[in-house]
Amino acid sequence: MQQANMLQRLFGAGGGPLERTPNKAVLFGLRFTNLAVLLILLVFFALSAPGFLSLVSFSNILDSTSVFLLLALGETFVIFAGGIDLSVGSMLSLGGVASASYMSERFAAGDDGVLTTVVGILIACAVGLLGGVLNGVVIAYMKLDPLIVTLGTLGIFLGIADLISNGLPVGDLPPAAFTLGNGQFLHVPYVAIIALGFAAVLSFVARKTRFGRYCYAIGASQESVRRAGVNLNRHTIMLYGISGALAGLAGMLNAAHFSSASSSAGANALLVAIAAVVIGGTPISGGEGKIWGTVIGALIYTLLDNGFVLMGIASFWQLVVVGALIILAVYLDEYQRRLRLTVGISRDTEGVAPALAADGAAGQDSTGAKASA
Amino acid sequence: MQSKTAPSQPAGNSGAAPTELRLEGVSKSYGGVRALQEINTTFRSGLTGIIGDNGAGKSTMMKILSGVTRPDTGTITLGEKALHLTSPVDARLSGIESLYQDLALADTLDITSNIFLGREMTRSFAGLRVLQDRAMAKAARETLSQVNIRIPDVAVPVRALSGGQRQAVALARAVRFNAPVVLLDEPTAALGPRETAAVNDIIGRLVDSGRMVIIVTHDIPAIVGMADHLIVMRAGRIVREVDPRQTNQEELLAYMVGSRT
Ligand SMILES: Nc1ncnc2c1ncn2[C@@H]1O[C@H](COP(=O)(O)OP(=O)(O)OP(=O)(O)O)[C@@H](O)[C@H]1O
Ligand SMILES: [Mg+2]
Repeated sequence: MQQANMLQRLFGAGGGPLERTPNKAVLFGLRFTNLAVLLILLVFFALSAPGFLSLVSFSNILDSTSVFLLLALGETFVIFAGGIDLSVGSMLSLGGVASASYMSERFAAGDDGVLTTVVGILIACAVGLLGGVLNGVVIAYMKLDPLIVTLGTLGIFLGIADLISNGLPVGDLPPAAFTLGNGQFLHVPYVAIIALGFAAVLSFVARKTRFGRYCYAIGASQESVRRAGVNLNRHTIMLYGISGALAGLAGMLNAAHFSSASSSAGANALLVAIAAVVIGGTPISGGEGKIWGTVIGALIYTLLDNGFVLMGIASFWQLVVVGALIILAVYLDEYQRRLRLTVGISRDTEGVAPALAADGAAGQDSTGAKASA
Repeated sequence: MQSKTAPSQPAGNSGAAPTELRLEGVSKSYGGVRALQEINTTFRSGLTGIIGDNGAGKSTMMKILSGVTRPDTGTITLGEKALHLTSPVDARLSGIESLYQDLALADTLDITSNIFLGREMTRSFAGLRVLQDRAMAKAARETLSQVNIRIPDVAVPVRALSGGQRQAVALARAVRFNAPVVLLDEPTAALGPRETAAVNDIIGRLVDSGRMVIIVTHDIPAIVGMADHLIVMRAGRIVREVDPRQTNQEELLAYMVGSRT
């Protein structure tokens, strides 16, 4: 708080119109910290890791980002609304195993048509949707904490994935699945096109639709949304349903990419998905955040991941770094928020305070002081 | 639910003067706390003031009338129509708007989004309800200026506002949709004298336009000067209903604290 006040003084908050411009610059800068980190990492690895700046390397990065980006996108919506979905990693496993079982069975029976793969996708999405809706129904109607509910279903989904696969990897997928998981269009993997397509649509949904607005509003104050007459239960079920469906789809694409599905496929996926959301600047407390932040967060994670490999750092370190990164991101975000609030308010007390003044005079006796509380 | 697009101008059912709003045998308990006991009263058009000590049950009564809280027993009738208020939507559809004591704002959303929360202007696109943000911002500015609330930027998140400004936003939301019945639970609690005067002015205009306005307040001198009808509550009961011209502050205080019954 103290540093924030210093900054505020430095940038002349509360001063004349001329001195106010830097505030906007600071805010503008803060908004793009994630992007800046991403660029710095890009430059760093380009300079220090030979072979980093190649098309292969880039499509690798997109490739490995895409699957868990899908998870992270659903998770972002859930976190916007002040919830959490811990079951996405297990759902990735379950969706993968369920659709791979079907596809490999059909393929073994001599059916190598594209339709098998299409049905495989539908199965993964449907299984994910079902599991997500289950989460949502329990959270909405039994009024339980999503943390506990999805922790429970984390175990349930994983157990079912094990049951389906007998704990063994499911392989021998049809060629169309392999193409889906590994094909490229102009060096951009299909999987990345799918994930970025979802990111674009979901970003629109978050910013421009009523559904998105209610997500943020619920994250800010569930009670205010209830009093506004919104059907909270329906919204909650849809929200977790979307998260589950995306996780199921991610599982199928993951299986398609590796030509194999197993119940352990989603082992680190939850950690990585939440890391992407948090590094992307969405506060875990809900009510705000951006879908594109999550895309950048996911890219930052993969960049570190790939960069480490290229630099020959042992892969064990990656988990350590991701964990630390989550904590750092939350800290930085919290710091930014305080700063923004201080800077923001100094602006508001100039402009907004005379809100209720009946005529002209700046009636800001108590109002200005209260804002800084 | 509210699938209709909210009108950009305040609704056309512009407060067709409601006859009366009647509560009969309304009770509500929270565990062992009897927040309301056998409330029987009738509200009429014009301004009704509800006063009473902290915990007297004023907000509970308001929340029952706005569909937020369901009474344990009792009936509510508006005009000839029995109301079954199971949710805030029911109350709204019956023409009842509320400003809650706790304001019920979503802090991270901007002023416009808060005013239109639950009643967004939208158009359909590919099965999605796309927000008409610009139209809503325009309408929000209009409402704020109609009620003399001067906030230059409706895109400011509500959490950056002062207590008084937040209250102003909640008030704007309660008056924007031209409901015939308006419930205001301590609308001036966070306001300074100048802002209080502005809000009282708004309330006066609501009453002049034929609305039924029910206001909970601790500002006894002001409400005695404004109200057409006064209700004094204590410990979950109505202990006095009186024409403010035929009483004085001492008498009202005596009923509030129970030295007169
Ligand atoms: N949700 C709740 N759960 C439990 N008790 C409640 C709840 N809401 C109200 N009460 C209790 O009901 C009683 C009446 O509360 P209410 O809020 O109606 O009082 P009030 O007259 O509005 O008081 P104030 O002037 O302080 O706003 C109080 O004793 C309060 O503690
Ligand atoms: Mg109260």
